[in-house]
Amino acid sequence: MNNKKTLFIDCSEAAYCCDKKQYNEASLPEKLKMLLHLVFCKRCRKYSSHNNRLTELMEKSNIKTCTEDEKKVWKEGIKKELTDK
Amino acid sequence: MSINKIDPNKWVDKYSDYLFNFTIVRVNDREVAHDLISETFLAGLKSMKNFKGEATERTWLISILKRKIIDHYRKTNSRKGKAEIKIQYNDDSNEGDWLEENAPDRFDKTAEDVMENEELGIAILECMEHLTEKQAKIFKMKTIDGFETEAICNEFDITPSNLWVIIHRARTTLAQCLEKNWF
Ligand SMILES: [Zn+2]
Repeated sequence: MNNKKTLFIDCSEAAYCCDKKQYNEASLPEKLKMLLHLVFCKRCRKYSSHNNRLTELMEKSNIKTCTEDEKKVWKEGIKKELTDK
Repeated sequence: MSINKIDPNKWVDKYSDYLFNFTIVRVNDREVAHDLISETFLAGLKSMKNFKGEATERTWLISILKRKIIDHYRKTNSRKGKAEIKIQYNDDSNEGDWLEENAPDRFDKTAEDVMENEELGIAILECMEHLTEKQAKIFKMKTIDGFETEAICNEFDITPSNLWVIIHRARTTLAQCLEKNWF
């Protein structure tokens, strides 16, 4: 990606920066270029606001999921029960 | 009404995050939650014949899980348990004999101290069912478990650009799914 060459980026690159920003992984130049793109692009403004909202909801929900190890134990339990029948 | 099928081999992949989230906000102990879900799966297997396909599998499993949680409260008999035991409960059905009639489609929200944002959590987990398995796994690791990009790339043998494409697709799908009720 030659994003260092120009200030103007396309929609896919803007989306890429926007996604990285959700995880605090966008660099300052990336953030600036994205902001500049958003000034001109309505579609990406919409994506950006949805994306920010999603991040907010994910944090608010405080979801806890189980580990692959936990899942493995359940899977084995079910398998055992099914074959014992 | 469409008939829902039952397939225990897929229970863990399809429902365990959902069941786990439901349980952990109520018992607040990872190990206990794990055991309750194990018991739920086993009780589900024993009473598969009672599943008539009118409720969804997930609704049906949740109804079993609710009973397991209540039984757990009874056993520990904690004050917290007494406060939370107001979940709808039919006393006359037997262990291992779960009837679908006992499975209301939405959780009866009479328990007062369930987590405030539980409904949101459930909505997100339901929307995550629209993702492919790989998208869901990677999105979860990155967003919920907070793994570094590099760690996920190593685990799945993908490049960072692959990862961001997957994350982008997952986020787009989730935002679309949640838009109606939560945006
Ligand atoms: Zn754009």
